[in-house]
Amino acid sequence: MSIDNHSLPLLETFSPADEDQLAALVADCQSSGTAVYPLGGCTSLDYGLPPSREGHGISLAKLDQVIDFPVRDLTITVQAGITMSSLAETLAPENLQLPIRVPDPERATIGGVVATNCSGPGRYGYGTIRDYVIGITAVNGSGQLFHGGGRVVKNVAGYDFCKLLTGSLGTLGLITQLTLKLKPIPPADATLLVEFQQLANVEPTLAWLMESPAQPYAIQLFSGPAWAAQESLPLTAGWQLALGLCGSETELEWLCSQLESEFSQHGIKLVTRLQADQQEELWQQLVQFPVSGDAPLVIQASMVASGISEFIAAAREIDSECSIQAHAGNGVVIVRFSEYPADGLGGALVGSLQPIAMAAHGNVTVLSNPGGSDMTTRSVWGSVHSPLPLLDRIKHAFDPANVLNPGRFIYT
Amino acid sequence: MATSNTASFVDQLRSIVGNDNVLTSASERLVYECDGFVVEKNSPDVVVFPTSSQQISSIVQACNEADIPFLPRGAGTSLAGGCLPVGGGVMIVLTRMNKILEINLRDRYAVVQPGVVNIWLTQALKGSGYHYAPDPSSQGACTIGGNVATNSGGPHTLKYGVTVNHVIGMEAVLADGSIELIGGPAGETPGPDLVGAMVGSEGTLAIVTRVWVRLTRNPQGCRTMLGIFESVKDATHAISAIIGAGIIPAALEMMDQGILVALEEAFKFGFPLDAKAILLIEVDGLEAGLDEQRDAVVRLCEQNGAREVQQAASEEERLKLWKCRKQAFGAIGRLSSSFCTQDGVVPRTKLPEIFETIQRVSEKYDLKIVNVFHAGDGNLHPILLFDEREPEQIQKVLAASGEILEACLDAGGSVSGEHGIGVEKIRYMNKMFSDSDLEVMRQLRQAFNPDNRLSPDKMLPTAGACGMEQAHPGRRAAL
Repeated sequence: MSIDNHSLPLLETFSPADEDQLAALVADCQSSGTAVYPLGGCTSLDYGLPPSREGHGISLAKLDQVIDFPVRDLTITVQAGITMSSLAETLAPENLQLPIRVPDPERATIGGVVATNCSGPGRYGYGTIRDYVIGITAVNGSGQLFHGGGRVVKNVAGYDFCKLLTGSLGTLGLITQLTLKLKPIPPADATLLVEFQQLANVEPTLAWLMESPAQPYAIQLFSGPAWAAQESLPLTAGWQLALGLCGSETELEWLCSQLESEFSQHGIKLVTRLQADQQEELWQQLVQFPVSGDAPLVIQASMVASGISEFIAAAREIDSECSIQAHAGNGVVIVRFSEYPADGLGGALVGSLQPIAMAAHGNVTVLSNPGGSDMTTRSVWGSVHSPLPLLDRIKHAFDPANVLNPGRFIYT
Repeated sequence: MATSNTASFVDQLRSIVGNDNVLTSASERLVYECDGFVVEKNSPDVVVFPTSSQQISSIVQACNEADIPFLPRGAGTSLAGGCLPVGGGVMIVLTRMNKILEINLRDRYAVVQPGVVNIWLTQALKGSGYHYAPDPSSQGACTIGGNVATNSGGPHTLKYGVTVNHVIGMEAVLADGSIELIGGPAGETPGPDLVGAMVGSEGTLAIVTRVWVRLTRNPQGCRTMLGIFESVKDATHAISAIIGAGIIPAALEMMDQGILVALEEAFKFGFPLDAKAILLIEVDGLEAGLDEQRDAVVRLCEQNGAREVQQAASEEERLKLWKCRKQAFGAIGRLSSSFCTQDGVVPRTKLPEIFETIQRVSEKYDLKIVNVFHAGDGNLHPILLFDEREPEQIQKVLAASGEILEACLDAGGSVSGEHGIGVEKIRYMNKMFSDSDLEVMRQLRQAFNPDNRLSPDKMLPTAGACGMEQAHPGRRAAL
C-alpha cells in the first residue's frame, strides 16, 4: 500500500525535519484536538481498527539518519524513519545484522517495526524486536519529547519505555529515535525442506525437533495455493517444513547431517537441502507472505507452539483453500484466506478461531481486511492479554487528549 | 503508621493471612529494615507472609482503606535499597509463595510463584536439557519475583540477555488490589508490552504473584579460557577483536591487578602478580564448532598482547578458572574491612578510558579501587576500599563514586547495569534523564500506582528535588 492510496482520513501530511518540529506539531494537534496519524513506510496501515476521525499525517521520512554506529559495541543509534533495507545496508559491510526480517523492507521503517512489534521467521533463534531495542526517544500525545534506556546493552535505570512502546501502535508516542543491539551475520547458512502429506504428522515431528541438539534458527510450516504457485521452488501440495540453519561451515555440516539422520530415524527419508538461490527465494517468500497477494482477509494467531496443528485444521475447516504460514517453533500462525468467510469475522474468528487459540493460551488478530466489514474491537483484536482498565490509564497518561492514532487499538 | 486503629488494622491482616504469618514485634521486624544496601534502614510497621494472590489482594485493599503504604519483598538480596520501607507501612514478604507450579518442556516455559529461589528452577530442570538462563551471582538466595522486579543480570547476559528477555507473562496484584494477568505462555500479545514495562520496575508498579518464564536449551558444550594481559587496554582490544570476529562469548569477565593480587594471596591460583588484567572467556554452543572458536579466541588474545592464555582441559579445570572470578569478592576482605561497589555501565569500547578515569579518581582521593568488570557488557564493578570508622574516608568514597558514575554517563553509559536505582541512586536519575523523561516516568507510575502507596519514594526523584542526599556509602557487594 502506498502513501497515496491508504485508508487514513488525512487532512494534511507533514514531514518534520527534526524531533523538535515533530514535537511542536503534536503539541499543536493536541491543542486543537486534531488527530495525529504517525506514518513510517505505510506498510501496516491496514493493521488495527479503522481510525475514528480525521487528522494530520506525520511522516518520519525526513528522520532517516544514522546517529551513531560504534561497530565494536554491537549497537547502532538511528532515527526512526530509516528503512529496514537501508539499516541492513549500513550494517552488512561490518558483518552485522538486526536479525528481524519484515515484509517490504525497502519501505518499512524501524520505527514502524517497533510500533507494530513485527518480527519475521527468524524469531525462533533470534527472538523478536523487543529483544533488540535498548534505547528509545519518542514524542507523547502532549508533544513532550522523552527517552528511555540508553546506548549500552545492559541498563536498568528508570522505567523501560523501550519495552512499553514496542507494539504500542503509535498510540502512546511517535517513536523518533532508537538504539538497537546487533548480532554478527553467521558465516554460513542452509535450509532443509521436508514434506508431509498429513497435517497430523507434523506435531510429532515438531515435538522431537524441539528436543534435538541440532537447533534451527527458524522453523517454518507452510501450505496452500499461495505456496503451490511458487514454480522456482520444489514445493508440492502437502505440508512443507523448512528449517533455517546457520553457523560456521563446520557447525552447518554437523547440523545438516544430524538432522538428516534424526529425520531418517523417524521414518522421514526425503530431506532436501536447498540450493543457495532457492534458499534466498524461499526466505523472501516466507518474509513477504503476510502482505503478498490480494487476500480478502489475513489474520495472525499467537499461541503456545504445541497448539498450532489444531488451529490450522480449524482454519482449513473454514476455508479449505486458505494459505498458511506458521512460525512453528513459536506458535505463530498466519492465515491468508482465499475468500472472505461466509459468516464474517464474528463467525469465523470470534465464534471459531479465537476460542481455539485461547484454549492454547493465545489470541487472534486481523492483519488486514481490505473490505473493512465486521471490524469490531473483539473481532480485530481478540482477547488481548493485558488488563483493559490499566491500558486505558496508561493511554490517558501518555495521550490525555486521545490524539495519537485514535480508534485503532482497544482503548475505551 | 497512625497509632489509632492500629490494633484493628493488624487484626484485619491476621484475619487475612493467619496469626503465624504476621510479624509485629520490633525484634522480628528488624530483619526487614533493609536489603543488601545497608546504609539506610527503616523497619516496616508490620510484616506479612501471604500464601496466595487472593490474600495479597485483600492486604492491598486493607492498606488502601487505611491509607497505609505497602511494598513487596523477596529474599532482600537487592543492592540499591529497592525493598527499603521508606516511611514504614506493611511489608509483603513473598517467600512463602515458593512453588514451581508448572514445567512445560514442549512449549518451553515454566510457571513459578514469586518466592521461588532462582537456582531451584534450574535444579528442578536438571537432566531435562533445559535451564532458566538468568543467573545472578546471588542465585542461590535471590527469588525469581525479585529478579523480575530488578531485571537481574548475571555473567551470561552478553549472549543470553537479562531477566526481561526470559519473562513472558505474569499475574500481578495491582495497586487497587485487583488481580490481573499480563501476557502468558504464548509470549506475544498485541498492544504495548506491559510485561516488559513491569520487569525492572523495582516493585513500584504492581506486586507480581506468578511468573511465566521462558526455558532455554542447554548448550551442547563450552570452552573456557583465561587470558593474562600486560594492560587493561590490551585486554579491551582483545575483547573488541573477539567480538569483531563474530564470536559472542557466553561470558567475558575482566579483573584488574588489584583484585588479582588479593585473589592470589587468598587462593594461590598461580597468577603472575605483575599482570595488569585477566580475562575469563567462555564460549558455548555446538561441540562441532567449539574448538574453532576456542582457537580463534586464543589467537586473538595473543595477537592483542596476551602474555599467556590458559585453557581448561576438563570440567575440573573449568571450575577452577571460574572460581577465581566467583571468589573475587570473598578475597576483598584481605584488602580492606569495608568496601563499596558501584554498578556503572559504559559502551564496551570505552572500557580503557573509564579504567583510566577510575585510576585518576583513585589517586585524587587517595582511595584504593580494585575492579571486576562484566567486560562483555561494559558493566563495571569498581570496588572502593575504605575504613568505615573514618568519617573523612566515607565522604571521599561518596565523592569518588559520584565522579566514576558521572564519567560513565559522559561516556554514554548508565549508572546501573543490574543493581537498580532503589534509593541508592535516585540522586543520579536527573543526571541521566531529562526533566521531561522523569515526568513521563512519573506519569507511567501514576497510571499503575495512582495513590503512590505502593513502595513510595523509590527510583524517581521527587519532582523539583535533586533526590536524597547520601551520608554513607554502601558496603556490601555482589555481582
